[in-house]
Amino acid sequence: MDLNVLLPRLLALAWLLPLCSFALIVFFGPRMGRAGRYAAHVATTAIIAACVLSFASLGLWLTQHPVGAAHGAHAAAVPPHINGDWYSLGEFGSLRVTIGYYIDALTLCMFCMVTLVASCIHVYSAGYMHGELHDVFDTFGPTEEGRMIRRRGRYYRFFQCLSLFCFSMLGLVLAGNVAMVFVFWELVGICSYLLIGFWHERKSASNAANKAFIVNRVGDFGMIVGLMAVWTGMGTFSFGDYKVTKADGTVAMAPGIFSQVRPAANEHKLQIPDGMVKSAVGSQASNVLVGKSDAKAVAVAAQDIRDLSAPQKLKDWRSQGLGYGLLVIAGLGIFCGCVGKSAQVPLHVWLPDAMEGPTPVSALIHAATMVAAGVYLVGRFYPVFTPEVLMVIACIGCATLFIAATVALTATDIKRVLAYSTVSQLGFMMLALGLGGWLAGMLHLFTHAFFKSLLFLCSGSVIHACGTNEMPSMGGLRRKMPITAMTMLIGCLAIAGAGIPATVIGFSGFYSKDSIIAQDLSFWAANPRLGGWFFYAALFGAGLTAFYMFRLWYMTFAGNPRDGHVYYHAHESPSSMTVPLMILAVLAAVGAWNIPFTGGLGLQSLLQQAQPAGIADGVSGGLYWSSIAMPAQHLAHEHANAIKAEWAAFGVALVGFLLATVFYGLRKLDPADVTRAFPRLYRFLFRKWMFDELYSYCLVRPMLKISDWVAAVDRRGIDWLVDGSARAIEGIARVDDWFDRIFIDRAVNVAARWTYALGMRLRTIETGNVRQYVLWLVVATVGLFVLMSFFWSYAIAG
Amino acid sequence: MGPINWQTCFFFLMAAIACGAAIAVVISSNIVRMACWLVLSLAAVAGLFFLTGAEFLGAVQLMVYVGGTMVLLIFGVMLTARGPFVSMKIGAAQWVVAVIAAGALLTVLLQAAFGTFGQTQGKPIAAAGSSRELAASGNDVADAASYSPLGLGLIGVRIDRLAERDHVLRGGMSGYLLPFEIISVHLVVVLVGAAYLARARRRMVPRHWRGGEQPSGVED
Amino acid sequence: MSIFCEPVGLSHYLVVSAILFVCGVLCMTTKRNVLGVLMGIELVLNGANLNFMAFGSPAICGTSTLGLDGQLIALFVIVLAAAEAAVALAIALNYYHTHATVDVDRGNELKG
Repeated sequence: MDLNVLLPRLLALAWLLPLCSFALIVFFGPRMGRAGRYAAHVATTAIIAACVLSFASLGLWLTQHPVGAAHGAHAAAVPPHINGDWYSLGEFGSLRVTIGYYIDALTLCMFCMVTLVASCIHVYSAGYMHGELHDVFDTFGPTEEGRMIRRRGRYYRFFQCLSLFCFSMLGLVLAGNVAMVFVFWELVGICSYLLIGFWHERKSASNAANKAFIVNRVGDFGMIVGLMAVWTGMGTFSFGDYKVTKADGTVAMAPGIFSQVRPAANEHKLQIPDGMVKSAVGSQASNVLVGKSDAKAVAVAAQDIRDLSAPQKLKDWRSQGLGYGLLVIAGLGIFCGCVGKSAQVPLHVWLPDAMEGPTPVSALIHAATMVAAGVYLVGRFYPVFTPEVLMVIACIGCATLFIAATVALTATDIKRVLAYSTVSQLGFMMLALGLGGWLAGMLHLFTHAFFKSLLFLCSGSVIHACGTNEMPSMGGLRRKMPITAMTMLIGCLAIAGAGIPATVIGFSGFYSKDSIIAQDLSFWAANPRLGGWFFYAALFGAGLTAFYMFRLWYMTFAGNPRDGHVYYHAHESPSSMTVPLMILAVLAAVGAWNIPFTGGLGLQSLLQQAQPAGIADGVSGGLYWSSIAMPAQHLAHEHANAIKAEWAAFGVALVGFLLATVFYGLRKLDPADVTRAFPRLYRFLFRKWMFDELYSYCLVRPMLKISDWVAAVDRRGIDWLVDGSARAIEGIARVDDWFDRIFIDRAVNVAARWTYALGMRLRTIETGNVRQYVLWLVVATVGLFVLMSFFWSYAIAG
Repeated sequence: MGPINWQTCFFFLMAAIACGAAIAVVISSNIVRMACWLVLSLAAVAGLFFLTGAEFLGAVQLMVYVGGTMVLLIFGVMLTARGPFVSMKIGAAQWVVAVIAAGALLTVLLQAAFGTFGQTQGKPIAAAGSSRELAASGNDVADAASYSPLGLGLIGVRIDRLAERDHVLRGGMSGYLLPFEIISVHLVVVLVGAAYLARARRRMVPRHWRGGEQPSGVED
Repeated sequence: MSIFCEPVGLSHYLVVSAILFVCGVLCMTTKRNVLGVLMGIELVLNGANLNFMAFGSPAICGTSTLGLDGQLIALFVIVLAAAEAAVALAIALNYYHTHATVDVDRGNELKG
């Protein structure tokens, strides 16, 4: 079968399998074995089948589009892709809302990554969540009233949500238009809400779930603005070109978003779409018309509106930069959604709190689904971003990586350290993307997925064994949990970017992080005035990464047990949990390697194939800030640049590692001394840069104040009215009651008493004696005759 | 003073028997005697029916009343009055009241009988001759005994009205088919109901009443 | 003996029926025995029947009809009387079952 038909079907099947599993568990979950224990099998089977289908699709794709073909000559061409629609939901003017697909190498890689990681997490969860198989006596988090809760196990519900989560993420990746992306974007949000709040009896968990949801709403608001700008300016939501049937029946190709922003006619360079130019001209002209300035301007404006579609005029307007603002707004809006989803700096506060969910959920959110969605969308929408937008992305990414890395230094909760490390790594990705390193950023997304899911699952194993999240009460666990310790060590090495400089030997993080640093370096070369900041921040962040990751490892596994009780009860996890760990450990180590004997096939070359058209040579020529230029990616791979970056990265990682060893491994220095030396800094970091306090002060408190005012108005005004009317009605009711009792009741009572008395009199007539009745009958008859004889003669008988 | 009208003589005889037996029913206190007097009274009434020329009705009266009804009554007497023949007397005061009321009723009735119809003199049967007149008009059925017109009347044919010219009047005076049907269904229902009512109800009967033992006695 | 020479008129019959009727009523009021009351009813019905007969009879009223109406009504009355006797006896049996007597004065449960 044709690949253009087969691939969408295969991927749709892989996409819908988790949905089927979800539906099955929704309807039959509690009946799947005792306490729904087979729900895990259903969900795991579905996701593993999806994984197999994804890899099969990837293999099929490679037969048609071998890697490397697009590497050299066609670097400027549109990457190979398959797009189309399965079903049209409706058409509103030029806007078509469809369920469609856009499949390229990035989609396929995401599919494989998501399903693979999710499969591991499913298998792992089957072991991790076994406590939910029976009634749970929740001693972990008492309710608000301080009561402990005994509740039914929710094993099957967990897998139900996991399946929905995977379905949503796959749908987001597969989506062929932005509207569909948005739908699944929200679905991912709601799934994360459900899973973070899985133990919703705990106050902290339900708060965290609410926080995640609400913070994401802020980002999604921006995204809706971006969507509106896209709709207004381009008239379509579709990524790729799509077929339209015209009124006369002919089928023509209509340009999608990518083709409009970077048309082939313009050599895939960024160009303001016609629609945006027109809408800018239109709004400018209508401003003039409404303002009624002077006759000449009005005439010009009217002429402009008449000439809206004239090609020559369009060219003029475009060169004047009309409509560029709309393009920037579209980019910024979309990125705003990604800020919320991918936990970038102003909106990162939900992610550390999301640790309240079960650990496999954290792994899923941090590695494969939720936060990856934001970075994925930035990567997918990359052609639309102007240099200014990219600069904003870079700045936010840089701030995120720095802030999160510093906070991770002071955290003692093992999952919180990992959470901040995730935020920091996401900052790395955004930084790379913002500085023009599309490949570096996306590569880091994948490698990070592998090692971060590994790290989370390891931490889950540790928590499972120790029953606590606090690292200060762990220590020395490597003797009890060798597999977990080893796999976690691999994860730490991978995230620190361990590798041998100047060669291609290293853990997966080595490739991605080094290419990010290299991109920073080349950006510095291109923009000497402000590039340094990014470079040093990234370098510093990389060093901190190594430091806090090894701090975590040393505190958990090395040294001597700090809490004998915890140590005594610790044990290696069952094989259903350790096998996924080992699989992920292998992936974290070799995930970025090229597969031998395949001519350079690997993650990097696959992503290279999916690189959007026209960005290989960098992005420049912003109208508002024309001085900055994102350098071409191949510049970063120039030998001199790359070597410099590799050594720098290696150096800071080594310094971080050594410092961690000195402080926590060998205990030559006491970290408490450092804390005492900088108490304010420590407190500042320990309280997470006061973000929560800031939001509480700026947003929550004013909101509460306003609520208080509104409540006061309610109480004083509306409640007064309501109370007054209630009191008035009460008074009326009292009067009515009095009237009832005095008049109506009395009348009724009197009538009743009379009736009763009459009845009592009359009952004496009823003697119950039949003969007496007969006698009365006779008497009555006689009386009747006598009476009749007065009024009626017998004359008729004559 | 004409010849003695035997019809009148028999009328007075039958009337005397009927009234006397009726009064005897009232007076006697023994239930079995009452039943005997009642039989006599009813038989005399049947005789009166014969006298007025309603032979069929008289026969029915004899069979149904004197036969059926009295058999039923005696059944009842034997079923209920197991003990010695009991008499349940009532006080003199009650007698007085009852007699006064009955006397008043009798007065009213007699006054009505004489006051209204007293002047009407009967015709001798032979003089009436209505059936013969009808027979002369070619109606053979009317000539037969009285049960044939009755039977025809019950199935809806009024032979005495056949000559009625006005078909509207004739329709309105048609026979008694519908009442006949109603009464027959009614009779069935009543008999089934009576059987149901009179069935033996063990629950109501104390244990010691069964097995040949007599009830301890029915008091006065 | 002139009364034996004249044909009997309607009034004769009416008088007999009145006497029978009143005897029946008296019977009903004075008998405490259920069966006595029943006999009274029979007497009353007979008196009524006699009335029907007399009014319908062509020989007595001097009409030129066959007197079918009176006879048919009387026939119905007899049938109804038989039915009534059957039901009344059934009731009397029931009464005897429940009260162990046939005294109607005992059955005063409906006393107000």
